[in-house]
Amino acid sequence: MIEIERLTKRYGATTVVDDVSFRVEEGAIAVVVGTSGAGKSTLLRMINRLVAPSAGRVLVDGEDTMAIPEDALRHRIGYVIQGYGLFPHRTVAENIATVPRLLGWEKRRIAARVEELLDLFQLDPGEFAQKFPHQLSGGQQQRVGVARALAAKPALLLMDEPFGALDPVIRSRAQDDLLAIQRRLRTTVVLVTHDMNEAFHLGDRIAVMDRGRLLQYASPGELLLRPAEAFVEQLVGTAERPFRLLSLTKVGEALEPGHAEGEPILLSATLRDALSQLVWLGREALPVVDAAGAPAGRISIAQILRHGRALP
Amino acid sequence: MSRRAFVLRGLALLLFVAFVTAPQLFAFVFEPLAANRAPAIYNQGSLLALTLSHLRTVALATLASTVLAVALGILVTRPWGQEFLPLSRAIVNIGQTFPPVAVLAIAVPLVGFGEKPAFIALFLYGLLPIFENTLTGLTGVSPQTLEAAKGMGLNARQRLLQVELPLALPVILAGIRLSVIISLGTATIGSTVAAKGLGEVIIAGLQSNNLAFVLQGGLVVALMAVLIHDGLGLAERMAARKPGRHGGEAA
Ligand SMILES: Nc1ncnc2c1ncn2[C@@H]1O[C@H](COP(=O)(O)OP(=O)(O)OP(=O)(O)O)[C@@H](O)[C@H]1O
Ligand SMILES: [Mg+2]
Repeated sequence: MIEIERLTKRYGATTVVDDVSFRVEEGAIAVVVGTSGAGKSTLLRMINRLVAPSAGRVLVDGEDTMAIPEDALRHRIGYVIQGYGLFPHRTVAENIATVPRLLGWEKRRIAARVEELLDLFQLDPGEFAQKFPHQLSGGQQQRVGVARALAAKPALLLMDEPFGALDPVIRSRAQDDLLAIQRRLRTTVVLVTHDMNEAFHLGDRIAVMDRGRLLQYASPGELLLRPAEAFVEQLVGTAERPFRLLSLTKVGEALEPGHAEGEPILLSATLRDALSQLVWLGREALPVVDAAGAPAGRISIAQILRHGRALP
Repeated sequence: MSRRAFVLRGLALLLFVAFVTAPQLFAFVFEPLAANRAPAIYNQGSLLALTLSHLRTVALATLASTVLAVALGILVTRPWGQEFLPLSRAIVNIGQTFPPVAVLAIAVPLVGFGEKPAFIALFLYGLLPIFENTLTGLTGVSPQTLEAAKGMGLNARQRLLQVELPLALPVILAGIRLSVIISLGTATIGSTVAAKGLGEVIIAGLQSNNLAFVLQGGLVVALMAVLIHDGLGLAERMAARKPGRHGGEAA
């Protein structure tokens, strides 16, 4: 768990981060969004003390970060930046081993951990361990960057636009992979992005920042239904709003009894997927099945419409 | 390395070793240059001994320049040392612009004749290329790499030793190579202040008007410079292979 309390950063007369407080629960993903220069990176870098706060404090699992020596603190917090910053003179395996080596882990334990991480990120150890960063694709470098940050099993992972350099297809796969790995490891994540789709896809909670201030910190649904300020509403995108809302709800949560004809859709699909399928097929309703393929009910356009607007 | 380059290197080395150990074998080449029955091959001392002390002076001076220039380069790229940049630049620039002959003239009254004044002149003269290359190498490390290193908890010393210096090494080596080559040639003037070196051969030739001597001295220095230049270049490429950014090949 991480608690940010009245965190402030000033450079001379300008306040870059202005009295920001929020808390990220154990195992949750908080996404920080906002326009360029809003202070997102500065906020993130105050958490691992790459930037010294002017006021306020950060607690990691209840412990004030100022009470921990800064290098020791950073060994405990994973950090991934845009461009990844892989060491060009070190192999993939050596890159991933960085923090365990600093911590003085035994050789055999490091080797086992590196292999485990390469497997986790679907990079064949035999093929990739001895490669150098310049021999990898952007997507592979990104995975090595995250693997390196997770090497010493940090409880907290900070990510500053980790997918910013990837093309849309690879980016969306990388997001899914991160979600899957994060759910498995239960790592608490604070992620900075420009991309609202990414924020809605990944965030358990979204922090909206503008000119140093935290405008709203809420779940994606709340952000859509009850934006705190005009700026939040605008950032969320008025045209995108209903679709974002639909993508937050699973078909299972809006299920109707009865049958329908046509290609069935899964309980775990989102209402957005269902709507897209209905529009594409030109139907009023579709049958719904569970993961095993057994019929569960149906989903109709009318039902979806009831979920895609602000007032139920 | 291609086969031909390898053979060429071997031949050049062989020629060099043969000439400095048994110069008499090559007398026939120089005879036409030696006027009225003067000796064709330098006969006032062992060519091998002169070559070795020439090399020794250059090696010691370059080593000292490297230590100081790299140390200065590291100092001025630290956040707390940035203010020393103008001063350091001034020092190494003066070392380079002050003519070595003048340095010799000033040094002799202070430290006497022999190798010391030559060492001082070469040391000062060799600082600039190493310093500038160290600076270029260290400031050329990508800010993202440094940010990541810092963010993972490498302290300042670990960042310097494990990240910055290894990445800057190829560029620093290039500076050292340049410095060595300049020193090899410049060291010949050391003989004017009685430093043992190949300058003796050239000066003896000038004094007795024997073109053969002058040419021998010059050729040995030149051949040595080519061989060392090539050898150090090889070392640089090996250092750069790992990062794979300066011409290293993808496996
Ligand atoms: N070291 C510094 N000195 C002075 N001003 C700074 C410093 N670092 C950042 N700033 C300023 O603080 C503001 C916020 O910067 P920050 O990098 O946190 O923004 P950001 O939200 O991450 O932007 P982006 O989305 O473009 O990355 C910017 O106006 C920037 O110019
Ligand atoms: Mg930023």
